[in-house]
Amino acid sequence: MEKFRNFIYLFILLMLVWLALTSSLEPQKLAAGVIISLGVSLFTSAGYLGLGLPSPGIRKIAYSILYLIVLLIEIIKANFDVAYRVLHPKMPIKPGIVVIKTKLKQDIAKVILANSITLTPGTFTLDIQGDNLLIHWIYVKGEGWEERAQIICGKFERILRIIFE
Amino acid sequence: MRKIFSLIILIILALGVYICISEIPFGKPGTAVGNYYIEKGIEETGAVNIVTSIVLNYRGFDTLGEVTILFLASLGLGAILATVQNKTRGVITPPSLILTTACRFLFPFILMFGAYIFLHGHLTPGGGFQGGAIIASGFLLRYLGCPQKRIRQSSFVAIESLGGIAFIIIGLLGFTAGGFFLFNFLPKGVANTLLSAGIIPLIYIAIGLKVGAEMAGIIDTLIEES
Repeated sequence: MEKFRNFIYLFILLMLVWLALTSSLEPQKLAAGVIISLGVSLFTSAGYLGLGLPSPGIRKIAYSILYLIVLLIEIIKANFDVAYRVLHPKMPIKPGIVVIKTKLKQDIAKVILANSITLTPGTFTLDIQGDNLLIHWIYVKGEGWEERAQIICGKFERILRIIFE
Repeated sequence: MRKIFSLIILIILALGVYICISEIPFGKPGTAVGNYYIEKGIEETGAVNIVTSIVLNYRGFDTLGEVTILFLASLGLGAILATVQNKTRGVITPPSLILTTACRFLFPFILMFGAYIFLHGHLTPGGGFQGGAIIASGFLLRYLGCPQKRIRQSSFVAIESLGGIAFIIIGLLGFTAGGFFLFNFLPKGVANTLLSAGIIPLIYIAIGLKVGAEMAGIIDTLIEES
């Protein structure tokens, strides 16, 4: 059952990407997209087993869009922060590696969180081990992992938990 | 004294370069054949992408040679590496969860992007070789992310051979249609649609599958030896 679900899931995702790539609704291109998406998802949907993709729903799609907006805002904010640290004559940096815990269960959710942390300048995910995220931080703040997790990825994790609940 | 000598040599060099370059008509149409391709390309081949119309129509035979070169390279690599005696796999550090999960998630999309590139070779930049290289890069990513997963060499060799044979059969069919090798015997269709440009999309599908399978095979052989 999960195999079939993954197959449909992947097919729809591939079809959406195909529509974005061709950006046309011509019957010829649509037919080619259906054939390619079917073929690719037939051969590769086995790799999606146990990935923990969220079940679709209007609320989750809305939160996914919200997540992208929040991520974009955080990236812009962090860019200014890092630019300030670089341009400041005294270069106020205090780099270090911190370990934080995440409550997210699914692999794919952890990877999205890790990649979001890496995308925001100043923080960089080195590795994931179980529930622990190893993060290199340009200016280590806060006490204890809970407070640090709140500063680094509190917003991301809250939205991700709704999407992947 | 030395400075004067270097100055004289510099002047002689500059003069030489100037004489050579001044004869080249930069910015002006160089050859008549180039203009011909640009003006008549779409009309004669049906491919909107002029580069593709040259590579697969006017110079289709040349492309067959390039495909053969790649085939020979893959064959040579296999032949050399097959003679290596002690096949010891080095200690591989297991990839992190980020790489494993991301490559499992992205692999289908890379394959589809490769197919998109070689299917739209006559419409947009790109083509069989580029699409095939993208597909092979997907397999390379999978080797990095999930090293225990291996491709089945036999099925890839089959795809590779079928692609090569399809190219030659399409070329030979040109004779039966009353033309020459690689004669564009199919209707050219409406420009800028997927089913246009006659045999060009068919050949690019064949090349795309062939190059993709071939390069994935090369990567597999190299991984085995590492």
